[in-house]
Amino acid sequence: MDLGLKGKVALVTGAGSQIGFGHEIALLLAAEGCDAVAVTDINIDDCNKTAEAIKKLGKKSIAVKADVTSQADVAALVKKIIDTYKKIDILCNVAGGIASRVPFDKAKPEDWDRDIRLNLYSLMLTCQAVLPSMRENKTGVIVNIGSGSTRMYGHGAGNTYAIAKAGVDNFTKQVAFNEAKNGIRCNCVAPGPAPTNFIPGPDKQGMVNMLAKTIPMGRGATQADIANATAFFASDLSGYITGAVLHVSGGSVLD
Amino acid sequence: MDLGFKGKVALVTGAGSQIGFGHEIALLLAKEGCDAVAVTDINADDVQKTAAAVKALGARSAAIPADISKKNEVDAMVAKALAQFKKIDILCNVAGAILHKDNVPLDEQQWETWEKQLQLNLFGTMFVTRAVLPAMKKQKYGVIVNIGSGSTRQYAFGVGMYAISKYAIDLFTRQLAYQEGKNGIRCNCIAPGPARTNFGAVLREGTAPPPPEQYAKMREAMLASFPLGRMGEPADIANITVIMASDVTGYITGQVIHVSGGNVM
Repeated sequence: MDLGLKGKVALVTGAGSQIGFGHEIALLLAAEGCDAVAVTDINIDDCNKTAEAIKKLGKKSIAVKADVTSQADVAALVKKIIDTYKKIDILCNVAGGIASRVPFDKAKPEDWDRDIRLNLYSLMLTCQAVLPSMRENKTGVIVNIGSGSTRMYGHGAGNTYAIAKAGVDNFTKQVAFNEAKNGIRCNCVAPGPAPTNFIPGPDKQGMVNMLAKTIPMGRGATQADIANATAFFASDLSGYITGAVLHVSGGSVLD
Repeated sequence: MDLGFKGKVALVTGAGSQIGFGHEIALLLAKEGCDAVAVTDINADDVQKTAAAVKALGARSAAIPADISKKNEVDAMVAKALAQFKKIDILCNVAGAILHKDNVPLDEQQWETWEKQLQLNLFGTMFVTRAVLPAMKKQKYGVIVNIGSGSTRQYAFGVGMYAISKYAIDLFTRQLAYQEGKNGIRCNCIAPGPARTNFGAVLREGTAPPPPEQYAKMREAMLASFPLGRMGEPADIANITVIMASDVTGYITGQVIHVSGGNVM
């Protein structure tokens, strides 16, 4: 199935970790035909590796260091990419993380801040910076990475993270509604547990397998599961889908 | 993106109408590499045409007419498909209809209409699924895609009983996903908004078309309710259905995906 990505320019945030969703998404977008895939991360050494891997696929890439919680960094990032590639057709907001594992009533508001900034403000900042160019081109696709944690309760640690990600779900719909008239779509992919750096400790797959015991499909997510759904939303094949939150979680979130 | 359909056998219900979702889905499954796509519909002549179109794409096909609201016809149809193709990997439950007029309040509808509506849209889908499941369980593999409806989240269109039957499809999808996950079977639901098909015809049956000016206004108002500013096309529905039928989405199950230009969020 041709995703029609030829000639497209994509920006993927959080693309540093070599075992993360951002890395996998960036490579899949390149493999499926994007002309250029710009990548960003706070860790520039890792991000350079991702850019190299994209170039090995015969596609253009640049790695730009940015802290996506900083408006100045994000503005400079987007300017650099538009200066280089003239446009951004596809924005994948992958950067995020669990900043505080303290239950919210035990945490300080400063801890809440770190989670909300990293997981919600970051997406709002990149969208704010990218949207003017998408509006000018009357086309654009945004895919946000949400989280299955928005629909799981009682895990205590990380609940400010879940609250921020629930904000991402609503932010997705707000952008979808507001920007539809400008030819811009916005959807959210909400992953279940996967063996990325989100899972602490050395045995990530072992931890995921343990978490997966209660998942109807009996396994955790893979990076490819998330990248496939993201690439489909980034393609015009999903041109009539906007404002959707798609849980990719083996049936652990059902509604 | 290779959808990995080589060697796969699909069954698509409601594949008769030549401008409908079922027809479009059946053809796309064939184009993307399915080995065989069996098609069924209550209208035998139309479904023959779809089977011929599938064969023209180089896939095997069989037109097996059936009224899916009748369990015995469904069982015979599925038995025939299994006898010919030996397995069913992919089931697309597309058949369904609106059986009542537009804007008739629920309590003013004949209760027989309620019964027929549930019998076709809900039980019809459940009959087909029930008949196909043993073969899927046996091979520990199967993908089911149900066609739901944006009407489950719309209250102004006056399609109450239809919407209720489709809401039940959403829940059936989740129940099945939960129950069959351990058997390697996934089940998802695609919920279309209004599209350019024959679907709405029954709502207007027996009523004179509105004068052109009024029609233009109605059309404008309707389009305004879709943030993306257009109606759906069969291809919009077929693309996501076929993606969900593929192992590319192998970790997605129990989801209801609205394909309605932002009309339902």
